[in-house]
Amino acid sequence: MTEITQTSAYSLTDRLDAAAIASAAPSQAQLMKELRVKARPGWVSRLPSGLGAFVTNPKGMTGVIILLALILFSIFGPMLSDYNPNRRAGGPHVMPSQEHVLGTTRMGKDVFTQLAYGGRVSLSVGFGAGLSAALIGLAIGISAGYFGGRVDEILTFFVNVVLVLPGLPLIIVIATMVETASPWVIGVVLAATGWGWSARTIRTQTLSLRTREFVLSAELMGEKKWRIILVEIFPNMLSFFMSGLVLGTIAAILAEAALEFIGLGDPNAITWGTMLFWAQNNLALQSNAWWEIWPPCIAIMLTGAALVMVNFSVDEITNPQLRASRKIGLIRKFLSSRGRSADVF
Amino acid sequence: MIFLARRIAFYFAAFFLAITFNFLIPRLMPGDPSDRIIASFQGRLNESQVAAIRQSYGLEGSLWEQYLTYVGSVFRLDFGISTVQFPEPTASLLFYGATWTLVLVGLAIALAFTIGSIMGIHAAWNRGGFFDSFFTPINVMMNAFTPAIVALVLFYAFSLQLRWFPLGRAHDPNLMAAFDLQFIGSVLYHATLPVLSIFLVSFGGWHLGMRNVMINLLNDDFVILARAKGLSDNRVKYRYVARNAILPQITSLALSIGYMLGGALVTEQVFNYPGLGKFTFTAIGSRDYSFIQGQLLLLTTAVLVANLLSDIANVILDPRLRKG
Amino acid sequence: MSSDRALIEVRNLTVDYVGDHSVARAVNGIDFDIREGEAFGLAGESGCGKSTVAFALARLTRLPGLVSGGQVRLNGDDVLKFDKARLKVYRWNEVSFVFQSAMNALNPVIPVSEQIMDVIETHEPALGKDGARKRAVDLFELVGIPPSRLDDFPHQFSGGMRQRICIAIALALQPKLIIMDEPTTALDVVVQRDIIEQIVDLKNRLGFSVLFITHDLGLMIEFCDRIGVMYSGELVEVAPAESILTTPQHPYTRALGNSFPPLTGPRQRLEGIAGTPPDLRDLPAGCRFAPRCPHAMEKCRIDAPQLRFYPEHMSQAACHLLN
Repeated sequence: MTEITQTSAYSLTDRLDAAAIASAAPSQAQLMKELRVKARPGWVSRLPSGLGAFVTNPKGMTGVIILLALILFSIFGPMLSDYNPNRRAGGPHVMPSQEHVLGTTRMGKDVFTQLAYGGRVSLSVGFGAGLSAALIGLAIGISAGYFGGRVDEILTFFVNVVLVLPGLPLIIVIATMVETASPWVIGVVLAATGWGWSARTIRTQTLSLRTREFVLSAELMGEKKWRIILVEIFPNMLSFFMSGLVLGTIAAILAEAALEFIGLGDPNAITWGTMLFWAQNNLALQSNAWWEIWPPCIAIMLTGAALVMVNFSVDEITNPQLRASRKIGLIRKFLSSRGRSADVF
Repeated sequence: MIFLARRIAFYFAAFFLAITFNFLIPRLMPGDPSDRIIASFQGRLNESQVAAIRQSYGLEGSLWEQYLTYVGSVFRLDFGISTVQFPEPTASLLFYGATWTLVLVGLAIALAFTIGSIMGIHAAWNRGGFFDSFFTPINVMMNAFTPAIVALVLFYAFSLQLRWFPLGRAHDPNLMAAFDLQFIGSVLYHATLPVLSIFLVSFGGWHLGMRNVMINLLNDDFVILARAKGLSDNRVKYRYVARNAILPQITSLALSIGYMLGGALVTEQVFNYPGLGKFTFTAIGSRDYSFIQGQLLLLTTAVLVANLLSDIANVILDPRLRKG
Repeated sequence: MSSDRALIEVRNLTVDYVGDHSVARAVNGIDFDIREGEAFGLAGESGCGKSTVAFALARLTRLPGLVSGGQVRLNGDDVLKFDKARLKVYRWNEVSFVFQSAMNALNPVIPVSEQIMDVIETHEPALGKDGARKRAVDLFELVGIPPSRLDDFPHQFSGGMRQRICIAIALALQPKLIIMDEPTTALDVVVQRDIIEQIVDLKNRLGFSVLFITHDLGLMIEFCDRIGVMYSGELVEVAPAESILTTPQHPYTRALGNSFPPLTGPRQRLEGIAGTPPDLRDLPAGCRFAPRCPHAMEKCRIDAPQLRFYPEHMSQAACHLLN
């Protein structure tokens, strides 16, 4: 215990004992180096903040690159192949070779060509359905949250119904009634049944934003309602919308593949899902013709995995708590090197 | 209690919506279900016989009369006549299949939710550490696999190639259904791979959900206070954080049952498991509309009941809901 | 009222917030003492670092915050260097904490009795469940809540009562220091006074010290013995409460005083402080307040003033104007 003596003017800092001085913190620059905190590269600062954060996130960018690769493959792949995906191109179940890069199906159709053409449909239907579901969810969520009252009650009821009714059985009923469910029909049905989760999160977010001051002041100034929604509320929603979009797309792509796999789709269409359907029907696994079944499998899984990575990074960007944990290891080292317990939380 | 009452009212409304949906869809499509049956008799039926068949399909009378008849039949558990096994009632097949599907989904959900949540708790508590950095991404990735593919892979590897597991059925056909060890053991043996498929594609979601909810909670004042009090790590982890994190997870559980059921339907097809999924596919092929509609209602009921159970669980676990 | 012995000595304390691309220095090497039995107030505008200091003292700094340097000495031992075992003794036995929002500080799903008793049972297991319960009842009576409500849940209490519960929990192990982070900000004015008066009364009776964090200077002046004024992560003045009001030494303290309307007396023109606090990632050289100070000199922009003790005013201040 030190006693505080009062004689003449002095600085507490001058009276720091050796121990206190020794425990002094490194400068901010030194700390940054020790914790490997790197300044943002110049060109990134010129992007809007959300985009900038996304571009520097390794997980997100890996996901985006994989997706781009798949999209490019679907766009340009068909041009690389001379075969018609619908016609017999060679002998049945030919192994991958120079002539047929991924072999042929039981009917003799070229797998690579089918994969490329199939990608076009699968990806566009998947992204299309995901985007539609996200947009419907956005519209309904914002309306319910912003207008409140009776509108909110009615809309919330429908949101809850869509959320609660089991998706696949519902789709099966619809798909059976519609004689040939082309991939596009499936996409529409998926969009019509998949907007629930998005709507719910966006409604919650709108409700909390609605009472914020900047919205109230816009209303007092007499701004038109649609303008308020577009200009004030929507930008704060962007991260939730993005998250809903990514999750919706994953769900749509997987659901589409599953539906076609079990035979609900149009067997004459060429999509990754129908490729799986035919492979299963042709007992590809049992005949050891792995090349008929694996390529569409891997394509679907890659798409799913890439979207999951993108979703991860969107989560990290919108939730700073998730990012903080990245530096835990280095902070622990910093503390133990100074003889302090690494009690970090 | 008001909370529960409102939820029950909602579930009734949703159920009626499903019934109405079932009623309207076939009537919006060109042709109707009885055409096929009538056609199969190739014109050898007289008018009253045709009318009788249409009657049994609920296609006689005004729209409103038909609706009431349909609602009545649903509540009498009369799901119509099966097209495939004409004139057998659909209900018996539906219930048989539903039982096995629920066994599958029940086991899978229990395992996925429990194991996923435990892993999520661990990942959140030691976030940034090895367990979190390694398992979280992997588990979540697995969530992105479609159950169809996982089922195929498992079937191919373990049933076909290695022959460790059976090629189908819910239990050894020589055993009588009973609650003895032998029968239950056989059931579990036959359910292992299908349950595993569903488990693998869903537990990652629970892991991530629990982890994220917990990480957000770790920042709340009452958790900081619990630490400040010097309470043991376990006490803070379970009694303060996880005890609160489980609430939104239970709600998510209820919402995800619909999705899990979808996965189960596909898995049954691959494993030749006699659940609702397998029969539905046969029904699709033969255009057995009453069966398909029946499965929608049955599965909807299952989901609504599960939701109700989760609401009850919420009321038990969250004292704030007991106010009303 | 308070002795001259220092209970806690803070020396050269530095706390940083580690961001994705930068490090913000929220607290920059501050020194101050909290004496036994005293009510020490830490004042300043939002973001000046006072809550950060409070959490650092209680070893509750959470990510992305990091105590990057300095010492917090309790009877000579550096709290920041405590290992797990010694830390457990420190927690709640020696220093306890009261949060700003009592609603958020209480676990919503377990009864209040458990939340008081668990800390007693953890640190004093010899008392057993019955002993812990008895003490919980005594604590409730101490803060003025009927013990019959001991098994209720937090949402069943009003805001003021919840804060009292938090204070009861804080007193459970008779600590030497209670840190209160804006304990009354979330309450209405009438309840505020009640709570503060109760705290001061308990302090005088039981003899603990209080570190009182708030931006409400007026409230602080009434109830604290000494007050430290923080600006942008640094202490600019530390003085007895009346001196802060009547003879503020630092221009910032003076400006703070001018921005509070007096309840009585002639109407005065309220003056805010023009400008905003500096960006903690990119601090100016020299005195941090210089850009907003009406009396800034050349020297102020180059040389950062140290906190010096001036016995003639019995206060410490960091300003070149005083030399």
